[in-house]
Parts: sequence; structure tokens; C-alpha cells
Amino acid sequence: MKLRLIAALAAVFLLAACTQAADTTTTVGTPTTADGGVTTTADTGGSTVPAGETTTTGATGDGLLAEVQARGSVRCGINEAVPGFGFLEADGTRSGFDIDFCRAVAAAIFGDPEAVEFVPLTAQQRFTALQAGEIDVLIRNTTYTASRDGGEGATFLSTTFYDGQGMMVRADSGFTVLEDLANTAICVLSGTTTELNLATRFVDIPYEPLTFEENDVLQEAFVAGQCDGWTSDKSQLAGVRSAFPEGPDALVILEETFSKEPLGPAVRDGDSQWAQIVDWVVNVTIIAEELGIESGNVDTFADTENLEIRRLLGLEIESDEGVAVFNAGLGLDPGWPADVITAVGNYGEIFNRNVGPDSPLGLERELNALWTEGGLIYAPPFR
Amino acid sequence: MTIVVSRRRTAWVRKNLFGGVWSSLVTIGLGLTIGYVAFQLIRFLATSDFTILRRNLALFMVGSFPRPELWRVGTAVLILALAAGVAGGLINSSARRRAHQADLPVPAPPGPRSLVNGFRRFWPLAFLIAVCLLLTETVTPTILVLGAIGLLVASSWMVARLPYSRWSWSLVVAAPVVAYLVLSASGLGWDQWGGFMLNIFLTVAGILFAFPIGLSLALGRRSSLPIVRTFSVAYIELFRGVPLITLLLLGVFALRLFLPSQLNPSSVTRILVAITIFEAAYIAEVIRGGLQSLPPGQVEAASSLGLSPWQTTRLIVLPQALRATIPAMVGQFISLFKDTTLVAAVGLSDMLNTSSIATSQPDFNARGLARITLPFVALAFWAGSYTMSREARRLERRLGIGER
Amino acid sequence: MATGTPFSPLMTPARPPFWRNVKVLRAVIQIIALLGVGVVVYVLFFNVTNNLRARGIRTDFEFLDQPFGVRIAGSDLSPGAPVRAALINGVKNTLALTVVGLPLLTILGVLVGVGRLSANWLVSKVSTVYVEILRNLPPLLLIVFAFQAVILRLPPARSPVTPFGWFVISNLETHVPGFRAGEGYATFISIVGLALAVGALVWWWRTRVQQEAGAPHHRWAWSLGLVAVVATIAYLVIGRPLTITLPVLTGRVVDGGFRGLGAFFAVMGALVLYTSSHVAEIVRGSIQAVPKGQTEAASALALSGFQRLRFVVLPQALRTALPPVINQYLNYVKNTSLAIVVGFAEVTLIAFQAIGNGQPAPQVIITLMAAYLVFSLVISLIINVLNRRLRMVTR
Repeated sequence: MKLRLIAALAAVFLLAACTQAADTTTTVGTPTTADGGVTTTADTGGSTVPAGETTTTGATGDGLLAEVQARGSVRCGINEAVPGFGFLEADGTRSGFDIDFCRAVAAAIFGDPEAVEFVPLTAQQRFTALQAGEIDVLIRNTTYTASRDGGEGATFLSTTFYDGQGMMVRADSGFTVLEDLANTAICVLSGTTTELNLATRFVDIPYEPLTFEENDVLQEAFVAGQCDGWTSDKSQLAGVRSAFPEGPDALVILEETFSKEPLGPAVRDGDSQWAQIVDWVVNVTIIAEELGIESGNVDTFADTENLEIRRLLGLEIESDEGVAVFNAGLGLDPGWPADVITAVGNYGEIFNRNVGPDSPLGLERELNALWTEGGLIYAPPFR
Repeated sequence: MTIVVSRRRTAWVRKNLFGGVWSSLVTIGLGLTIGYVAFQLIRFLATSDFTILRRNLALFMVGSFPRPELWRVGTAVLILALAAGVAGGLINSSARRRAHQADLPVPAPPGPRSLVNGFRRFWPLAFLIAVCLLLTETVTPTILVLGAIGLLVASSWMVARLPYSRWSWSLVVAAPVVAYLVLSASGLGWDQWGGFMLNIFLTVAGILFAFPIGLSLALGRRSSLPIVRTFSVAYIELFRGVPLITLLLLGVFALRLFLPSQLNPSSVTRILVAITIFEAAYIAEVIRGGLQSLPPGQVEAASSLGLSPWQTTRLIVLPQALRATIPAMVGQFISLFKDTTLVAAVGLSDMLNTSSIATSQPDFNARGLARITLPFVALAFWAGSYTMSREARRLERRLGIGER
Repeated sequence: MATGTPFSPLMTPARPPFWRNVKVLRAVIQIIALLGVGVVVYVLFFNVTNNLRARGIRTDFEFLDQPFGVRIAGSDLSPGAPVRAALINGVKNTLALTVVGLPLLTILGVLVGVGRLSANWLVSKVSTVYVEILRNLPPLLLIVFAFQAVILRLPPARSPVTPFGWFVISNLETHVPGFRAGEGYATFISIVGLALAVGALVWWWRTRVQQEAGAPHHRWAWSLGLVAVVATIAYLVIGRPLTITLPVLTGRVVDGGFRGLGAFFAVMGALVLYTSSHVAEIVRGSIQAVPKGQTEAASALALSGFQRLRFVVLPQALRTALPPVINQYLNYVKNTSLAIVVGFAEVTLIAFQAIGNGQPAPQVIITLMAAYLVFSLVISLIINVLNRRLRMVTR
């Protein structure tokens, strides 16, 4: 009799599980437009559509944008264990530089920064998940490299964070150059470009690589002196250093940068509309900082004379043909940049909130400053 | 001041601790070691800072479950406590009815004494809950726990005094289903679950889904049809010979390849499938042990009564065999419970993973606080496993199953 | 009409209709089962090939020849070495864990199992606590704890301790005195191997002598003595095929001796403790299953407690304990895959690294599973042979 009860319970569970799976099935190829209207072309330049006419969103009905809109949320592959970039806070919310860009994408498409489904991924899983379509966009402090672009089926978009790989050692070890680390052990996280770069750079130097799966065990090993050097992206090293209990001066990040580590979002190969949308979400935050638009002052620009701002925020522009609103033809409602900026702020705000000098990581802009201030952050014009 | 030591006590000490030269040496050596360890433990507990646990308790317990919806977890706990109380009361009332019918002395219904006995019986769990309550920052969890205990006790007392009815068991069975529905309503699927809740869920769901598959495999292994038997043996030997981590890897990386491209199961679902496939092989072996322990005379008697093979299996073999497997099945449950910590290696935020996230927080980073979080996680798992193994031993004694 | 003939036993019963004929049903069910399995396999295979083709993932095992890309702790392989070599290195590390760990855990398990039944109250309580704590903890937690709380507490790698000048100990690695192979090492080893084989024959001969004539066999002394004598003669004749080396620390380099990584000791220690607690339970159960009359008879023969254990109780107990203990050995081997969290480069970590560096995941995982299956099968086979031999000895 108990058997019958167990079988009944299992059957109900199975039923519940099937309804779960049904919610997550992707509907490929169903048209989503409510008013099945005119498609705006997504290439050369944009067009100013006379105000009053509605433009359809994602009306090709066949791409990832349509799928995402049908689903109602963006699936974002993230890290949940790196403070400042992708981290699970004690209250269950997620915070970080990459998390904010996920929210920006959601705000751009749905107007709601919370329309995101966060999918935490390990370093090994991330590209498989992207290729398999389990996530729509991968924003997980991932380095843009040629082989990933080519071989891993990913398309990389505008770099959000320019970083480099460095080595951190104890200040009292006396090491100043990488060659000093001969015959020592070096800790590194497995499954990342960091590992490969270390092997390449140290090809003539004898060393013992200690590869860990998780950062916290690695840090304990480094602090305990099991390895003399810890190699990772300099931003992560700087973050740990500034929060180090013995004081930042107990650790030294060696000057030499092994490799360039441009971090940015990645999407699956093959859908250029979706790639362009994510790309321009990033660009829009940079342009907003250039123009001085912040999350708090978006509404104050209603009467500005600056045409760039008017185009960005989707405000009406008077011209000889009449009143029009700029539409770049990406497939989103004009004025989507305003949603993005209201939700997460401009690039500077995102940077300062998560990794800036006042945050626990305490990083300076340096390479990540605007091009007008000597950095590399530069966006194409929104016209 | 005279120290009066009774004669019996010295005799006991003389016999049990210092019975011979070797024995005395070992006693002294062990005594010194235990004293040292206890001293270090007390020093550790007194001087450590438990802020990391206090601040992250919710993270440890439920992971990234949306905090505004935590009332669902509370409701589910209350429902399960109610079900446990009803089950306890039903067991007691059915035992009393049977004793009454057999003219044997009737055991007493639960009273105040049984509350004390309950704490003695489940002291590891009580200890764990007490530790957690000491670490909470608000008073809500304490109220919840007291409410759950009160509900459990009250329902058990009430039901034990009502006449026994077999259909009341359906309430007990329905309760976990209702709890699940409460937890997962409004789009909160099991993807959002994390922390200790995820470990418990993976264990329960894993065993539940694996049981029918394991049962078919065990029966198939004993079948006289060569194809069915070969397939069963191949499945069982294959999945018992590989570690769980390889199957988890397969679930994460390769499961999607086996499914048509429309299906897109979430991470938790894929891990659950991998765990189910893994557990089915072990459950098949456990059930096979139970089937083997059945005297062959039972099957012979059944066939002499004219029962078909299917009827024999259903009415004669399975009830007895499954009863014999209960302790080993609980052992498998415990084993799976401990193995669910492995899902941290494939990215799910179970309790071990959330503990490493907690030690990565900027406030707690690089201070060696793993020596506080790891024992806490260990305590949680130990309390669960130890309680289950004690209950399994009690069941084994009560059901009178011989050692295997 | 009464024919008076009795019921003829040669009368054949009527053939039951085919839907009730057991033979037909059996054949039909088997065909259905075969078809069912075939359909499932076909659908899966179809999906797999379709999906692989759609994603452009290769289906061959070429990855074994691709360069691994990174170095591995504790080995000399260069980053350009093929994945195949890295995997073999990983298998060697798993073997090292197994070969060192299995004997240790057996000894510890038997000790604790016997200790639980000891007359000394403290010993039995401590053994009980040992078993009840370790058995109920997840092995992963034990490994991480052993790593962080024990190994990392040793002196840091930049300033190891050198007790007696014979050892070099740090939390990274431990060096012990070892030997280095010189000239004639191969000859020496083959002679020692031969001596061991002859020693096994001597063992068998002395056992026969004891069984037939009743004289004490002294087989340990005979066989080991033979091996020792032959080995010494060979060593002296060949002239230094081995040189004992002590680890010498110069700067950061240690020359000589044998080396063990800290992570290795953490994993091995944790898993030995964990598995030995299970073995202790099994041993205790099997000792308690030995009929009480045996212990009483042994006491009546004036055997001491230790002699009773060694000659009467344990031989019988260990025979019944062997199958579940084999299971624990297999669990130990499978649990070595948990070493990934502390960075010990056994075969699962190598697989993780390979997948992370772009090798095709399904093939890597299949290779990994095959490696573990081979391990499991080999261990099961060895122990099953032993089991059968032991069972044949009893009546």
C-alpha cells in the first residue's frame, strides 16, 4: 500500500516537473508582433520615422530577439562568485559590473531591469551553455580572444572592461620580476585564459602550477603560502589586495602584464540583430557618460537643444519634414536608451558603483576611463 | 576535605579503563589527546567571530531564493511539520489498535513524556536548529520553529487519540505535494532554489524519481529473459562503476545533445536527471539484495496457489522484499544526501557553494574564515545524516531484519 | 462406458492458445524489449548526431592528440604534450592515491572496528564517536577541511622545515629520503622479482610441510629471509644499483629524495579517514556475527584476548566482511575524483582542464568514465578472485 502512495507521489512530482519543462521550452520561429507591421531595416544608418506611427519590434519573427520577447526575460550567463563583477550577495540579490550590463539589456528590450533570468555558470560551462542556447548572452568577465570568436561559436561585442593578466606576490618575498618566481608554485584558476597565458609566459621558467576550481580555496592557499604567486586578471587581484586583512601593502602586484584581457559580453554566432542590440546597449552607456546623462537626470533633458541627446533619448526632433523620432533600426522601440540609463546609469555610474574607488574593490578608471580622459572607452556615434 | 568515592565506581574504573598494562597506557594516551582536543575546541568556539554566519544565514539555507518570498519556505516547513505530526500520531494509533485487537497491552498515547523522548531521539537535529536560531538576526525564525514544533506535537497528540483510519495516510502523502506547490507557485521553479534547501530537494527528488527505475532494473536483472537481464546488468554495472562527478559533467555538457532541440531544461533539472540515473543503479542493487533475501519457498508456494508471475511479484515478493530493504534504502538516502555537495563543482549554488561565496565577500575575504563556515556546513550535513542513520537502525531493530 | 484403463501418462496435454503459451509470450516480450531499447537508442543517437552536426562539434577522438596547453603540478609534461599523456599522468596520480590509501584504510578500519568492541570503555567510546562523526560527513567537506585546516597550517613553501636534515616539509610538498636508480638497476629489480616469485613458492612449500607433517612452518621467516638474502647478495655483487638520497634544500630547489604534494596528503588523509569509518562499521558487524560459541571456546582454550582475535574471530569475521569492504574500496576509488577541489591533478581534474581549454566535452567525459570503469573492474576482479579463494577454503 505504501508502494501505491509512493507511486502516486512520484507521479505528481513528474507532473510538476513536466509543467516546469514546458515553461522553459523555447518557441523557435513563432512570430511575435502584435501588429504585424512594417519591418525597419537593420543596416545602413537609421531612419527617422514620423512621430505617431508605431514601429514594430522584432518583426522578422525568426531571431533570438523575438524569442526573448516572447519569453519575457533575458537569460544572462553570469558569475556568482567574483565580488564586483558577478556576485551573490547575502540577501540573495546579485550585484556586479557584469550583472548591471545584464540588467541594461533587459531594460533595453522590456523597459524593466528585473526581466532577467540569471544563470550562474562555471568557467568550463560557459561556452557550451552559450552554444547550446541555454543562455541568450554571456556576461561573465570573459576575455575576447580569436579562438573563442572563431572556434567556440561565440561573437564578442564591445569591450566593457579593459584588463590585463598580472601576478600578485607577497611584499616580503622580494620578487620584482616574473623570472624571480622560478621553482615556486603559482596558483591559478582552471579553465580560463589565465592558465594558458601562464603556461605560455613561463615556458622557460620552471614552476609548479596549482590549479583550483574555486577562488576561495585558491585564496586560502595563497595566503597560507602554499603558492608564492597568484595570477589572475589585475582587476581581481587589485580587488583582493585592497580588501586584504593585513593591509594592501602586504601584497604587491608585479608590474608586468602577461596579456591583454579585454572583457566583454558574448552572444551566439549567427544572429546579427541580437548581437547588434547587445553591442549598442553597451555603447549607449558610454555615450551617456560622454554626454553627461546620468540615471538621475534623464528627465531633465526634455528641452535640450543638443541633437545628440535628443537622438539618444528618443525625443522628438524638429526638421524640415516635420517632427520625428530617431530610430536606429535595431528592432527596439526608440527611447530604449533612456530606459537603460534610468535603470542602471551610464558607464561611469556602473563602474563606480561596482568596482570604482569607493567600492570595496577600489579600482581607478585608468584604461577604462573615457577616451576624452586618456582611457580606451570609446563608442561609435548614435546616429 | 574527604573525597568519597564509592566502591563500585572505583571497581568499574579499574576494570574498564585500567584493565591491564596496555589498556592503562591506551587510556592515559587517549585521555590526554581528548583533553587537548576538547581544550582547543572550546578555545576555538569562545574566541571565534561568527559574524559571517550571522550575516549569511539565509544564503546558506536558501541560496538566491527571493527574500520577499521566504514566507513560502516557512509555510512549507509548517505543512511538513503538520504532516510529520499526523504520521507520528497515525503510527501510534495503528499500533494501539493492533495491540487492542490482539489482546496485548496497549501502548500509551503520546503524552508529555513523549515530547522529552522526541528531543532525546532527535537531538542532532535539535542541536542544529538551536545553533541556527542562535545565529539569526530576527526573531521570526524562532517563532517559526516554535510554531512548527507546536504544530507537530499538537497534531500527533490529536491524531493518536482519534480512531485509526487508513485514508488519513493520504493527508501525509499529500502534504509534501502541497508544500512543493506552495514553494513553486508564481513562476518560482526549482531553479531558484539554493543553499541547504537545494541539497534536501535534490536528495528527495533524486530518490523519488530513481525508485521506479531502480525497481524495474532490479526485477529485470532477475528476469529469465536474456535481453532484459543483459540490459539491466549493463546499466547497473556501468553507472555503479563511475563516480557521480562524471555523470554530473555528462548532465551539464552532454544531456542537451540527447534531447530534441526544442527542450531546454534548466541547470537544476539536468543535474536532477543525472542524479536520478546514478541513483537508479544503486537502488537497483539495494532492491536486489532484498529480493535475494526472500526465501524461495515463498515464490514456490505462490505458484502452487496458481498465481501468475506478475501477481506473485506484486502481492508476495515485493511487499516482503521491499520491507527488507528499508534500512539499506535509508543508507542510500544518506549517501545521496552527502553526495549532493558535489553539485557545487558544476556550478549549482548548494550549501557548500554558498559557503565559498560567503568567504569571498570583501568583508570576509582571505581571513581563513573557512574554519568557521565549513564546520557549520559539516554540522548541517552531519545532523541530517546521523539522524537518518539512527532512525534506520531503530527501524531495523523494530522490523527484526537480520544482519546482511 | 467404462474402459477400465487408467489415465495414461503418455497422453499429451492440449497445447494452450498462443496468447497464453508461456514460450510464445517470452519470445514476444523479448522482442518487444529489444525493439523498445532499440527505438530509445535510435532516437537518442539520432538526436545526438543531429545536434552535434548543428553545433559543428566533432564526434571523433582526435582530441587525444591535441596539445594539452598547460602544465600539470607534480609532473614534467610540457604544455605541448598531448592530452593523452596528461590523462595518463592523471591516471598515475589516481593509482598513487589508491595504492597508498587502500592498505592504510583497511588497517585503520579493522583497528577501529575491533576497538569499538574493546573492553576498555574509553577506547570503545572514542571508536564509536570516530565512526559516527566521520561516517555521516560528506567526503568533499572532509577533503576541503583536511586541505584548509591541516595542510595549509604547515610552514609556507618559502620557508620549509627540515627536521633531522632528512625531511623537507612545507604545505606545498613533503620530501622524504628516497633512492635513485644507478647502473644495473634493471638487473637488480629483475633479480629481486625472481626472488619474490621463489619466495612465494617457498611459502607454499612450507605450508604444505606444516599441513602434512605438523611442524611449525615459519613461512614468513623462510620466504622473506630468502628474498632478503638474495637481494643483499645481488646488491653487493652488482655494486650500488641504488643510492639512497636525502632531500637537500638549496634556495627553492630540493634535490633528491621522494616528493609528495600537500594536496595529495590532504585527499588521501581525508578519504582514508572517511572510508575507514565505513570499514570499521562493517568489521564490527561481521565480528558480532561470528557465533558467540567461538569466542567462548577460545577462552576455554586459555587463549588471550589478542590470540582469540587473531586466530579465531578475525579470520571468520573478515571473510564475511570482504564483499562490503570491496564496495568501500570501490567507493574510495570513485571518491578520489573529489580531489578536483584542492587542485590535485588526478584524472578528473585533467578532464576538467581539458574541457575548459576547448576539448570536446562528450568525448572527454566518455574517456573519463572509461578510465574509472577500468579501475572498478580491475579492483572487483582482483578481490573477487581473492574472495573465491577464501570461500573455497572454508567448508
